[in-house]
Amino acid sequence: MSLKHLIKSIPLAYVLLTYSSVATAEVNPEQWLKLNQAVINEHVLPNYSKLAEQSANLKTSSTQLCQSPNQVTLEQTQTSFIDMLNAWQRIQHIQFGPIELLMRSYTIQFWPDKKNLTSKQLNVLLTEADPATLTPDFLNTASIAVKGLPAIERIIFTDDPLKTLQETPFHCQFLQAISGHLLTQTENTLSEWQTYKQEFEYLSSEEGNYESAQEASIDLMKAQVEPLEIIRDLKILRPLGKIAKPKPRRLENWRSENALQNMQHNIQALHHMYSGVNAYNLSLLMREQGEVGLADKIETQFRSIESGLSKLPSPLSKHLQEASVHKQLLHISEQISQLHNNLEKSMNMLELQLGFNSRDGD
Amino acid sequence: MGISRRNFTALLGSSLLGGSLFSSTLLASGKETLFASASQTSSGLNELLIVDKQGVLRFRHALPARSHHIAAHPQLPLLAAVGRRPETYIDIVNYESKQLVQRIQSRQGQHFYGHAIFSPDGRYLISTENQMSTGDGLIVIRNVHDNFNTIKQFSSAGIGPHELRMMPDGKTLVIANGGIHTHPEQGRAKLNLSTMQPSLAYIDSLSGKLQEQVFLTTEHHQLSIRHLDVNAQGRVGIALQYQGDTLDDMPLVAFHSQGEAIKLVKAPTPINHAMKQYCGSIRFDRSGETVAVSSPRGDLITFWKQNGDYLNSIKTTDGCGLTATSRKSCFLISTGRGRFYHYDVSTRLKKRISLELAKGTQWDNHLTNIS
Repeated sequence: MSLKHLIKSIPLAYVLLTYSSVATAEVNPEQWLKLNQAVINEHVLPNYSKLAEQSANLKTSSTQLCQSPNQVTLEQTQTSFIDMLNAWQRIQHIQFGPIELLMRSYTIQFWPDKKNLTSKQLNVLLTEADPATLTPDFLNTASIAVKGLPAIERIIFTDDPLKTLQETPFHCQFLQAISGHLLTQTENTLSEWQTYKQEFEYLSSEEGNYESAQEASIDLMKAQVEPLEIIRDLKILRPLGKIAKPKPRRLENWRSENALQNMQHNIQALHHMYSGVNAYNLSLLMREQGEVGLADKIETQFRSIESGLSKLPSPLSKHLQEASVHKQLLHISEQISQLHNNLEKSMNMLELQLGFNSRDGD
Repeated sequence: MGISRRNFTALLGSSLLGGSLFSSTLLASGKETLFASASQTSSGLNELLIVDKQGVLRFRHALPARSHHIAAHPQLPLLAAVGRRPETYIDIVNYESKQLVQRIQSRQGQHFYGHAIFSPDGRYLISTENQMSTGDGLIVIRNVHDNFNTIKQFSSAGIGPHELRMMPDGKTLVIANGGIHTHPEQGRAKLNLSTMQPSLAYIDSLSGKLQEQVFLTTEHHQLSIRHLDVNAQGRVGIALQYQGDTLDDMPLVAFHSQGEAIKLVKAPTPINHAMKQYCGSIRFDRSGETVAVSSPRGDLITFWKQNGDYLNSIKTTDGCGLTATSRKSCFLISTGRGRFYHYDVSTRLKKRISLELAKGTQWDNHLTNIS
C-alpha cells in the first residue's frame, strides 16, 4: 500500500484560529503587583515574624521548665505551645517559598498522623534516651514525626506530664531540643523571606522565580483558596466520621484541646488575607473589576463561618458526639464548600488559572 | 533561572562538536529535533503545538477537544494527537506539510483513553480504548498504510487501559490497565473504586494473545497503574495514582521485569507525602538507567534508578510532561504554566528554556521528543 494518501491533505482552517483574549476587565499587571506586595508585607511577613517570636518564647519557657520543673513552668510552657500553635495556624496556608525548603512545613507539623508515627517513634527515642538524639545534627535528619509541634504536644499534654518530666529529665531535654530545632526553622524561614519577597516586587522577569506579577499571584491565591478544602475535609469531616460515630482523636491537637481554636485562626487568617490587608487585597481587586456582588458574598460567608465557629463548645473533642454540635459542624463544612466555590469563581473571573495538570490530570 | 533561547540551542544542538544532547539522532537521520505536546490556552482552546530546539513555536494545530499524549511516527513526519477520555478522535497531522492528514473516529460504542503508539516498523497505530457497553479495555490496531482502518481489536485484559508501550522485541505490547471503570454518561466519575484491580499486561500485538499479566496485592489494589515506560533491556517503569484514603502513605512508583513480581518503591516519607498520591507521567532517560516521574499535584518531579532506588527530586510548578533528551540522565519537563525546563539528574542542574508562546499556554500531561 502506498503512502500517497498521507500527502492528501485536509486543509487546516484551524490554524487560522487566533488566541482570543478578553478585552474588557482584564486585570492589569500593576494590580497583581499591588496585590502581591500588600499581601506579602501586611500578611505573610508579619505572620512569619509572629511565628518566629512565639517559637522563641516556647524555647525560653521549655528551657525554664527543664531548669526547674514545676507547675508554674509547665503551665507557662503549655501556654507558649498554644501561642506558637495558633501562630502556625495563621500562616500554615502559605505552602510555597522558604517554608517548602527542607520540608519545613512538615517538620513544624506532621498531621494528620494516620499511623500514629509521632507516638511510636517518639516513644522509642524517649526510651532509648541517647544523648546523641539531642543534637542539631540528629534532628536535622530525624523523622518529621518526632521534631515538630505534635511531638512537643505529646510530651507536655500527657497524663501528669510534670511527674514524667521530673522523674525522667531526658524527656525535658528532648523537648528543649525540639523547641530549639523549631526556632531555627521558623527564624530561617523568616530571614529567607527577606530575600524571597523580592520575587513579588517585579512586574515581569526573565530570571526570576515568576515570569510575571500575575504568576506570582497564583501562589498567593492558591494559599487563599485551597486550604479551605483541607479545613473542611481533615479538620471537620474526618473527625465527624460516619453518623453517630465521631472520632475525637482525629481532631487536630485534641490533646491540647485546641482543635476549634485552630480552625478559628485558619479562617481568620484567610479572611484577613482576603479583605483585611489594608493597602490592597483580593476583595478590593474584585470590586475594581466590577465584581461587587461576589466580593460581598465572600465577605459575608467568611463572617458567617467565623460566627458559626464561635458558637461551638470547646474543647470540641469532648462535645463531638452531641447531635447539635455534629449538625453545626456539618453546616459549617457546607458553608466552607460554598465559600470555596465562590473563591474559585472569583479566580475564573479574574482569569487566574491556579493549576492545570495538577487539577485535571488523567 | 531562565536561559536564553540561544543557550537552549547550544544546550540541545551542539551536535557535531560536543557530542551533546541530540547528536546521534541528528547525525543519523539528519532530522531536526522537535518537541510536541497537547496544550490548552487559558481561554480553553485545545491545540497540538510543536516547538523547535530554539524554543520557537513551529506549528499549531487546533484540536476538536482536549488531547493527552502525542505519538510520533518512527519514519514519517506524522503525529497522532490522541483524544483524552472520553473523547473519540485521534488527529493524524503531517508536521512538515502542516496538514491534518486524517481525523480518526473511534468505533461506535468505543472511546479513546488518550494514549496510542506507532509500531516500530511504522505500519500500525495502536491505541487503548473503552468498550463502553461492558467497560472492558480494548487494544485497537489500525493500518497506517490503509487510511488508518482498523485491522483488529482485542482485549487489553483489564478495565481502563491507559498508557501502552512496545517492548524491545518490537511485537509485545506492555499495557497499563488502570482498573478504573468509567462511562461517558457519568462523566469522568470512577465507578468501581472499591473493587478495582489494576494490572500490567503483556500482549502479543500480532495475535492479541496475553503472554503475562501481573497484579498488585490486595493491600495495593487501589493503586491505579496508569503510565509506564520501558527501557532497551525490557525494564518497565510504572507511575501510579492512588484512589484510596487521602491519608494513606502508599508507594507511587513501581518497576517490573517480565517473569518477576512488580516491585513497588517509595520515596522518603516527606517526599512521598509531597507527591500527593498522584503521578502523571514517567520516562526513562536515554541510557535506560535513570527514570523521571512527575507529580503535578505536588509540584514535584522525582528521579529514580531503574532498580528502584530513589535518587532526588526537584520542585516544578504544575510540571507533568517528561521526555528524555539524547544525553544520559537528562530530561525535558513541560508544565501547566507553559514552561519547559531542562534537568540533568547527575549534576542536579535545572534550567528554564525560554519559549515563544502565546500568553496563557498550558502544556498538557505528556511531552514527546520527535527526533
